[in-house]
Amino acid sequence: MLVEFEQIQKAQAGDDVAFNQVVAAYRKRILGTIARLIGRPEDVEDVAQEVFLRLYYSLDQLRTPEVFEPWLYRLTVNASYDYLRKQRRRNEARMSDLSEQQVMMADASAGGKASSEADRQKQVKDLVDSLLSSVSEQDRILLTLKEVEGLSLKELEKIYSVNENALKVRLFRARQRVLNVYETSKKRTGKSGQNKSQLE
Amino acid sequence: MNRSGDQLTQLFAQFKAAVPDPDPSANFMPELWRKIESRQNVLIRMKKLTQVFVATAAAICILLAAMSLPRSASTELRGSYVDVLAESHPAENLAAMGIIPHEGFEANRK
Repeated sequence: MLVEFEQIQKAQAGDDVAFNQVVAAYRKRILGTIARLIGRPEDVEDVAQEVFLRLYYSLDQLRTPEVFEPWLYRLTVNASYDYLRKQRRRNEARMSDLSEQQVMMADASAGGKASSEADRQKQVKDLVDSLLSSVSEQDRILLTLKEVEGLSLKELEKIYSVNENALKVRLFRARQRVLNVYETSKKRTGKSGQNKSQLE
Repeated sequence: MNRSGDQLTQLFAQFKAAVPDPDPSANFMPELWRKIESRQNVLIRMKKLTQVFVATAAAICILLAAMSLPRSASTELRGSYVDVLAESHPAENLAAMGIIPHEGFEANRK
């Protein structure tokens, strides 16, 4: 816990100073999680503010301060999911499969050929973002929380309020889907690479 | 796990490093409080609207009740319960049904 239980209880009782302290303690972590969940840096603050806005209006529903963190994660997951759904509606035409260029760039980055660290990071970011767009918003969030954020199955169980086995099955299927897209794109890139080298 | 699986795991780890936790802007907290207050205003407005709606509904109910009152009052003014009963059951009918003796009824008529 990044704050004392007492502070959460004060915030629950309507103490705005305590609420500010809770937000200040968690905002960086929440901003990071949202940045990796939604993949749009320009909208990260908006979504984070929505999370804390929901927190402000539902804090009185929190029964025990012990479950505060999973509960805050649940609010984060819900706000990110709402954002991704709206985004999908706005941008239905977005490609779900990877462009050859992205895979080639990622391969180059893995081989240390990227021009700079910033370029390499951008390539990794674009590649993972494209891979995750091949699954549903729910699976994208679940997979990111597990694989990127490193949350344990026990923590996910508390956030989603479902049993571990159901989560395992869902995670396995989502990962398989992403892996298939990754392998297919790699094969395609390999073939086009061979063709290019033959032409040269 | 196969080679692609390992690569994917590695890619996810690289992704976390590529997207570090961003620092909140200086405007983060003021903007958050502005949003909280604007939502509060919406809630207050909705509460007021609900109150107006409930008050209007109550006024309409009272008005309808008041409009129906004179009609029921006029029936009450027509007489006592026994008078109303006698009016609705004329003596001919009662005599025909054998509730009162027929002779008494005829004598009364004369």
